Amino acid sequence: MKALKKQSAASAATASGSPVRRKKYKKENFLEFLCVLPAVFLVILLNHYPLVELVRYSFTDWNMLKKTYKYVGLKNWTWFFSTLETNHVWNAFKVTFIYTVLHLAIIIVVGLLLALLFNRMTKSFSFMRSVVFMPHYIAMSSVAVIFVWLFNESYGVFNYLLKVVGLDPVAWLSSSSMAIFSLVIVASWRGIGYNMLIYLSAMQGISKDYYEAAALDGANKFQVFRDVTLPLLSPTTAFLLVTQFISSMKVYNLVDIMTSGGPARSTEVMVYLLYKMTFEDYRIDRASVVSILFFIFMVIITALTMKWQDRKVNYDA
Amino acid sequence: MNKRLRSPEAFKKQLWHHLQTAGAVIITLVMLFPLYWMIITSLKTDAEIITTIPTFWPKNPNFQSYVFAWTHMDFPRLTFNTFYVTLWQMFIQLTSGILAAYGFARGNFPGKNALFLLVLSAMMIPAQVVFIPIYVLIAKLGWVDTMAGIVLPGVVSANMVFLLRNNFKSVDQSYLDAGKMDGLGILGTIWHVLIPMCKASVITTALVSFINGWNNYFWPKILSKSDSTRLMAVGIAKMKNMWEEMSTEGFYNSIMAGVVISIIPVVLIFAFNQKYMLKGYSKNAMK
Repeated sequence: MKALKKQSAASAATASGSPVRRKKYKKENFLEFLCVLPAVFLVILLNHYPLVELVRYSFTDWNMLKKTYKYVGLKNWTWFFSTLETNHVWNAFKVTFIYTVLHLAIIIVVGLLLALLFNRMTKSFSFMRSVVFMPHYIAMSSVAVIFVWLFNESYGVFNYLLKVVGLDPVAWLSSSSMAIFSLVIVASWRGIGYNMLIYLSAMQGISKDYYEAAALDGANKFQVFRDVTLPLLSPTTAFLLVTQFISSMKVYNLVDIMTSGGPARSTEVMVYLLYKMTFEDYRIDRASVVSILFFIFMVIITALTMKWQDRKVNYDA
Repeated sequence: MNKRLRSPEAFKKQLWHHLQTAGAVIITLVMLFPLYWMIITSLKTDAEIITTIPTFWPKNPNFQSYVFAWTHMDFPRLTFNTFYVTLWQMFIQLTSGILAAYGFARGNFPGKNALFLLVLSAMMIPAQVVFIPIYVLIAKLGWVDTMAGIVLPGVVSANMVFLLRNNFKSVDQSYLDAGKMDGLGILGTIWHVLIPMCKASVITTALVSFINGWNNYFWPKILSKSDSTRLMAVGIAKMKNMWEEMSTEGFYNSIMAGVVISIIPVVLIFAFNQKYMLKGYSKNAMK
């Protein structure tokens, strides 16, 4: 963000030029403004304006079934904090957070390991990398439908394979302690190739000099990885952490198709709860409060990660 | 080095080489397995998919389930609707995105930087947070359960504006000046200079936009209430729910056939453009 600001400030400075030039380009500048207008209008209409509306709804008693509503002050906000133990929001938050942490841990760690494993620049390896990456393109909803069949407890192949090696069948989606892990497995299967790829291209960017220097010092493979590769990959890790944290906090499709939030709310994630509050309970007012708090949480985590990135991360590569 | 005089060091190196190959092959097969299972399930008969010992290759592979999906699960309509929504979204995203990218990359008007930051900040506001007011907006327009309503939430992509703007910025000014000398206006400059020079990234963003539209589940699920506006992803999920409610467990092969149909366009795009797209992905990650 900082670099970006600097960049655009610089471009503004060079473009303003002499007063004579500015006069000459006036009409053209207006046309340029017209160019950005449609996109800016749509962006505001679909992002900023709804955010403002959300805040407004949170002070009303609107329930979507009636046409009119009145302002009720902080009623919805006090509802949220006074019923924290019974309103299921805290549960949804915990479920979402556990899901996100597990998912991030797997795709970051295994993604990095796969990048090391697949780091050979031959045709066959390039083909295998494509195969590992391909699930990233398949819709999460399709992936969910595929895995529902693989997880099936009577006819699913996973339980059959477990039986073949002499293990007990697993209640993949019908056990409240297991379901969240099953969701993480599915999401990780889809997401891991992307992380591998990003790590790989970052590793290609590391200068050979570092490895030569390490070899001269007599470092072994593990030491090279720990002291050279890993620190130089930290900007990549930070990038993946920020972007994937947000995208996995938003998980909805998987839950909607595979578990519907169950069993016993064990997979009821935030967006699924918001969906239910809006379209099943019609409580727009309360759902707005939850949406706003959810948004604030994501902004805070993003800001903290970026701050950590600025301080800790090594940009030498 | 002579093979016979191989040192233990070289032997160890070669062993590692083979281990790496073996590991990569195994991981690839494991990753491929769910897709393999999807395809063979879609080729099995109703009876074969509910045997207690699943078969790893269909006893007599046939396309019955595809025929069933196409004729009994409303697939022609689902396919048409999905193309319709996706192509409209892609078209509006690209038109507004390319124009805006030009304005932000090459323009010089008051408030440019503020507006650009505004567009960037939109990337921080996920649809899943603001879906209630957007739904209310669409309801006020009377567009719930219409194709226009399903198209609307996906007509603009701040991410695309950002990526194209960076690409347009990297084009050397001399090309634009040359175009101006030939009498090109803004649209001419974009069409004859910038798009050809940034061809790879324009195509990549267009394809990414197509894939995102095609794969979207959240908005179609919320906004479509009847058969006539249903998109493929929601249609398949609905069949899965029907299957869950029915006691006959036989037709998951047709659902899998539906999934195969739904991922064909995406896999085709991936197969023909993966070189560009992989490059695009990693380049964007580095920014």
